Amino acid sequence: MSLFFKSPLDIEILLDGEESRKHVEVSNNTASNTKALRDRLPLYEDGESISGIVTLRVKEGKRVEHLGVKVSVIGSIDMIKTHGNGNTGSSKRLNNNSSGFSDARKNTVEQFLCFSYDLCPAGELQHSQSYNFMFKDLAKRHESYRGKNVDVSYYVKVTVIRKSADITKLKKFWVYLYNNVSLPSSVVVNQRQIENGEENRLARIEPKPVKLDIGIENCLHIEFEYSKSQYHLKEVIVGRIYFLLTRLKIKHMELSLITRESSGLQLSNYLIDSTVIRYEIMDGSPVKGDTIPIRLFLGGYELTPDMSCNYFNIKNYLSLVIIDEDGRRYFKQSEIVLYRSR
Amino acid sequence: MSYSETLEQALIVVRQQAVLMQKCIQQRKLMDALKHASMMLTELRKPDLSPKQYYELYIMVFDSLSLLSSYLTDNHPKIHHLADLYELVQYAGNVVPRLYLMITVGTSYLKCTDSPREEILKDMIEMCRGVQNPMRGLFLRYYLSQRTKQLLPDNAIEFNSNFVINNFIEMNKLWVRLQHQGPLKEREQRTKERKELQILIGSQLVRLSQIVDDNLVIYKDNMLPVILEQVVQCRDVVSQEYLLDVVCQVFPDEFHLSTLDSLLGSTLHMNPDVSINKNVLTLIDRLNGYIDRKEQEQEQDTIQGNSNLFEVFWNYLKTLNEERPDLSLHQFIPLVESIMALSLRWYPDNLSNLNILYGFTAQKCRDYGRAIPQNAEYLFANLLILQNFRHVNRSAALFYNIISQCDAFRELLSLQNMVLQKNIIDTLLDILLSASRENEILFVIDSKASLEKLLSVMEPLIRFRVTSTTRRFSNDALGLSDDLTEDEEGNSSWVLDPSQEKLAQFCHLSLRLLPIECKQYLNVENQVEYLLLLRNWYYRGDKNIKYTYPAIISNFWKLIRKSYLLKTRQKLSRKTENDYSNMIKQLFKYASRCINDLFNVCGSSVIDTVYKLNIQSASLADQLSIGEIAYDFFSQAFTVFEESLSDLKTQFQALVYMIQSLQKTRSLYQENYYDTLIVRCTLHGSRLLRKQDQCRAVYLCSHLWWATEIAVIGEEEGTTADFYREGKRVLECLQRSLRVADSTMDNIQSCQLMVEILNRCLYYFIHGDEHDTHVSVKYINGLIELIKTNLRSLKLEEQIPEQQQSTTRLQDLHIDGQDSTELSSRKKFVMGLDGTYIEIPRTNGSPASISNKLNSMYINEMIYIPLEHFDRTCEYIVNQREIDDRFKVIVV
Repeated sequence: MSLFFKSPLDIEILLDGEESRKHVEVSNNTASNTKALRDRLPLYEDGESISGIVTLRVKEGKRVEHLGVKVSVIGSIDMIKTHGNGNTGSSKRLNNNSSGFSDARKNTVEQFLCFSYDLCPAGELQHSQSYNFMFKDLAKRHESYRGKNVDVSYYVKVTVIRKSADITKLKKFWVYLYNNVSLPSSVVVNQRQIENGEENRLARIEPKPVKLDIGIENCLHIEFEYSKSQYHLKEVIVGRIYFLLTRLKIKHMELSLITRESSGLQLSNYLIDSTVIRYEIMDGSPVKGDTIPIRLFLGGYELTPDMSCNYFNIKNYLSLVIIDEDGRRYFKQSEIVLYRSR
Repeated sequence: MSYSETLEQALIVVRQQAVLMQKCIQQRKLMDALKHASMMLTELRKPDLSPKQYYELYIMVFDSLSLLSSYLTDNHPKIHHLADLYELVQYAGNVVPRLYLMITVGTSYLKCTDSPREEILKDMIEMCRGVQNPMRGLFLRYYLSQRTKQLLPDNAIEFNSNFVINNFIEMNKLWVRLQHQGPLKEREQRTKERKELQILIGSQLVRLSQIVDDNLVIYKDNMLPVILEQVVQCRDVVSQEYLLDVVCQVFPDEFHLSTLDSLLGSTLHMNPDVSINKNVLTLIDRLNGYIDRKEQEQEQDTIQGNSNLFEVFWNYLKTLNEERPDLSLHQFIPLVESIMALSLRWYPDNLSNLNILYGFTAQKCRDYGRAIPQNAEYLFANLLILQNFRHVNRSAALFYNIISQCDAFRELLSLQNMVLQKNIIDTLLDILLSASRENEILFVIDSKASLEKLLSVMEPLIRFRVTSTTRRFSNDALGLSDDLTEDEEGNSSWVLDPSQEKLAQFCHLSLRLLPIECKQYLNVENQVEYLLLLRNWYYRGDKNIKYTYPAIISNFWKLIRKSYLLKTRQKLSRKTENDYSNMIKQLFKYASRCINDLFNVCGSSVIDTVYKLNIQSASLADQLSIGEIAYDFFSQAFTVFEESLSDLKTQFQALVYMIQSLQKTRSLYQENYYDTLIVRCTLHGSRLLRKQDQCRAVYLCSHLWWATEIAVIGEEEGTTADFYREGKRVLECLQRSLRVADSTMDNIQSCQLMVEILNRCLYYFIHGDEHDTHVSVKYINGLIELIKTNLRSLKLEEQIPEQQQSTTRLQDLHIDGQDSTELSSRKKFVMGLDGTYIEIPRTNGSPASISNKLNSMYINEMIYIPLEHFDRTCEYIVNQREIDDRFKVIVV
């Protein structure tokens, strides 16, 4: 729209302390899928106030009549597809103002956050004017997310209401939710253990190392073990694979981290897996009795913590893939929980 | 990231990335440098390379990473912190480049003082498990080992050794696994590749030896058991052989000495295909070398402490024998051999050890049941003649000691097949006989029992008969010629047999090696006893005695002479003198027995020898003035002559020999012995078959009546009065031979004989008065006249054919066109002592042709034989006139 109508009014949203605030770079996976595009967005946490200045600039010598100026903070879940296979395009639009979204194909399915108030009453703007705004202690239910089918977006929206088309301006920001409660017990137990020595073994509750015993009869039998099933995003996955039996001629073995995004009005409507990490952990073919160490630093990768809500959830899986000399792949996935912590 | 298609491309990529990496390092762009390093390392993921090709890549990469490493260390922690980098490089997606980078960063960090060394080392070695591909894993771990070489923590010997052992074990596993890669048909190729890679694994043991230094406790308690366990457990032949060998090579001798049990014990549990003996051999070589080195350092005392070394090996051998009955002789015997070498080197004086081993091997031989296969024979031969013992001086004395002290030696020898036994004894004899050739310290055969042992060892050779079956089989081995013929009557021709000759030599040698007694008589007595012993043993050789008995007999002669010298030169008590006399008589009897035995056993083939031996014994007896004995031997010689000598030529020669021996005798005048003998001799001469032989024999017999001086016993012509001379008989002989000569039908021969008789006459004419010798001027002149007449008629015979021949000869000249003078073209003939015509070859070196009969074709040339001889004789007479007036009356 702005291409055809030169807007008579420029809206500028400046967040307080934006320069000094930590920013997050988010890949801008628009339809064109140009890799280089990355958005740089200021980062906020749950419960953090959001404040700033809105400046309305009127073009020289112009007057702009309006029915009022409104500022809102909005959090929404957007999706491309909401229904089952092939049911495209028939999504119910809650809001038509989607031009500013990262992915134009995505439509909002739920606005879980929407606070707004008027900055000024209806009137006429003759020259530029600035207004402070503030949303105090803003609760943010979801973490920002930009996925294949689903986005969770947060933005500040300024609307100049007019008789004709409203003039709006969005200011996106990014939200991290830090989860400190995910695994408190393990930490406590570990400390206790250290204090009390080994006598208190029975008191151990968590974390249980993840142990999996898998195989193909008379062909391959391995046991793999991760130190735990829940990791925060900067953590290291440590584990080992023990070969009990191997008649395969293994070429190599990889560990992959797969992020599964399931979305839709029914959660299982859209399952999209994306392999975030591919990490070769073994070269060549081991023999019975060999133990292969696993150590995977997560911190260097862009990972998504697990999330869950009505319209979508994000789960992470570790996948062990064995490729034999004939190119056949054998794999085993096991879910791990990723969470964000400070 | 993926690797290049071909090795060439890979090398190019490595080179390019290395250059780029260096540039980035210079520009201090660490991240880019790491990126290039990682790309370079990606090439090390390339499969299907041979060990050499992979090594080529590895070396290039290694050098480049060294640059990176020093940069990393230099700039820590000012520009970066290596702990961070250590984490950073672990984001590399592929395991091989990741680990190379980790090790590079990790080891760079080790160089810094603030690094947690043990943690880094532990982590690196643990993460290396990610590479399970044998070749890539081996090189990676080798890289780890190379990089950490100087960087292991100080004073942490236990940690360090565990670190290296850990690496070693994993490397060995990978190495073993390489064998089973790829299709089965490429197994040999795999083995070859593995051998190319072995140094990588071996280097770990070298590292261990550097770490352990001289800490025996750690080695014994921590290192060796783990190493050996791994070696045993891997059950891989190549690995076990190589690694045990390396263990033996890289650790100090002192360590081996105190861990022999475990080292040897481990070999008991090896893969059955492992050739244990190789390893034990290496070990023993080491231990023997240890002695050498210690001797150079002159630390004899340290060696004495280990007196149970042989015990250890011996027990091991016994255990091995029980637990591994499957071991082939090829495995087992060299083992025994090497233990023998050890014993000889460490305990050279303790030959009972050898006896144990020989006994053990003999038992092994018997247990083998079947005949020992031909390809295993040499093993026993090696054992018996100590063939391969580098550390041992294979002297005659050593073998003497072994044979005299190790009864099992003979036992083992006797279990071998005959041909092999013979070869071994041959070699033994060579060595024993070398004692007489070289100037080494002679050993002493201290008792008859020892000599008996030596002889019993040689018994197979003494008895060895070359039969037609063994001959075909052993021709190559023995080098015997094929023309050895032996008919049913035992008339084997006289063939050179080096082995039997060695026995004969040994007979001489052994008499020199007796213990020296202070009393001379006892010495002689001992020697006699030894000699009789030798004779008794050699007698078992049946027909072989024809080779050995002459030596025995001549030794009897030697002893006779020695006894005689001892008897006459010293002032002796009557009793001793008697003893000597009896001894001499006894010795003659022994010699006679021997000669008889020789005759009885070997029959006609040794007639000539027996005849001569008798005459020589006779001469010896005569020289010692024992007439009876001399007579007896002469009469025996006559018996042999009469009964067995049937060959014409031999008869004549035998008589000549007899005549010259008899002529020198001095002790036979009593009881008419001499007379009897010479008459008989002349009689035999006149009874020879051919006239010419008769003639010559008889004129030679004339000398029997004309004794001449023997200077050595003090006789002198003119001074000594009692020469046995009977001129009448001399003349009779000459006359008789002249008659025979005259009646010889061969003209040339007849003339020649007459000239020869003339020469005899001249001899007597010179040496005696006319009335003594009865050879008068008249007789001589008559003889000359006769010869002249005969020669003239001989010339007449020449006339006619000469014309004939001269024409043919002219034709020859035309044809040849070269020989212008008649003289040079003429064939030249001479006559031999026994009357044969010998054609002198005109060119040097070509053999002379000999014939018994006159050949009319060359009659003209042959006529010159008596002619020239007569001319020479006449010339002599003319010349003699100047000094002896008597010759003037001889008419030439």
